[in-house]
Amino acid sequence: MNQNNNQEEENWKQDFPYHKQNAALVGRREFAKMLTLVSGGLAFGSGLVAAKANFFPKSPVEGEHFICTIEDIPVGGTKSFVIEGSTIPYILIHLEDGSFKAYEQKCTHLSCSVYYQPGSGQIICPCHNGYFDAKDGSVLAGPPPRKLPHLQVTVRENEIYVSAPEVLNNV
Amino acid sequence: MSTFRTNQNNANTNKLNVILSTVIVILVMNVGLQIWLLYTALNYTLDNDQHVATIAFWASLVIFFICLGLLYYIPMGKKIKTPKRSAIR
Repeated sequence: MNQNNNQEEENWKQDFPYHKQNAALVGRREFAKMLTLVSGGLAFGSGLVAAKANFFPKSPVEGEHFICTIEDIPVGGTKSFVIEGSTIPYILIHLEDGSFKAYEQKCTHLSCSVYYQPGSGQIICPCHNGYFDAKDGSVLAGPPPRKLPHLQVTVRENEIYVSAPEVLNNV
Repeated sequence: MSTFRTNQNNANTNKLNVILSTVIVILVMNVGLQIWLLYTALNYTLDNDQHVATIAFWASLVIFFICLGLLYYIPMGKKIKTPKRSAIR
């Protein structure tokens, strides 16, 4: 009789563990199964990225857009602008060698706003000290994983226009 | 009656422990690889390169199936025979 009572108590404990340690304990088998679940989630995430890349690609800038005249930007100066129909901020830079460059003003690390430091030839992200080359947007130092996206700049009759780059990933 | 399997289990008491730990280590490495694949795919996609994302997805899927297959090798431990409730009452 006494043995039966003990056995019944054990079953009750198995169903409703009232000790916190028993309730919160994650065994190694459960941990392995959870890792497999995480693996499935990551595979699903990769599938979403692949689907977005292949079926819903980012639409390029269409046409040519007037930004300003050459006199509006002194050497070493910059001008921020947004293209119509888009919310992406861009920055137009008048480099010391006389050329004009246009880049997205969002750092490729965590989308902080970048700025051009006159005389240095560098675009700087102040959030985590990311440095980009102002000539081609490539990463010089810091955590940014890729170069700044750019626009093609055309100077025509003292006016500056931007358009989609002719060849992607190439300034 | 003693069987070959029983004797093996008695002679190598840490065997199940080692198998389980090995499976978990391989699973953790696989998940780490998948995180790296996802990170790389995202970076290349944002840089307008779709091919890497597709390859990374297939690689990630293969790794997931490997993880699923590894679950088969998780030892279930020694089963303790307990009397059914109906038998107790």
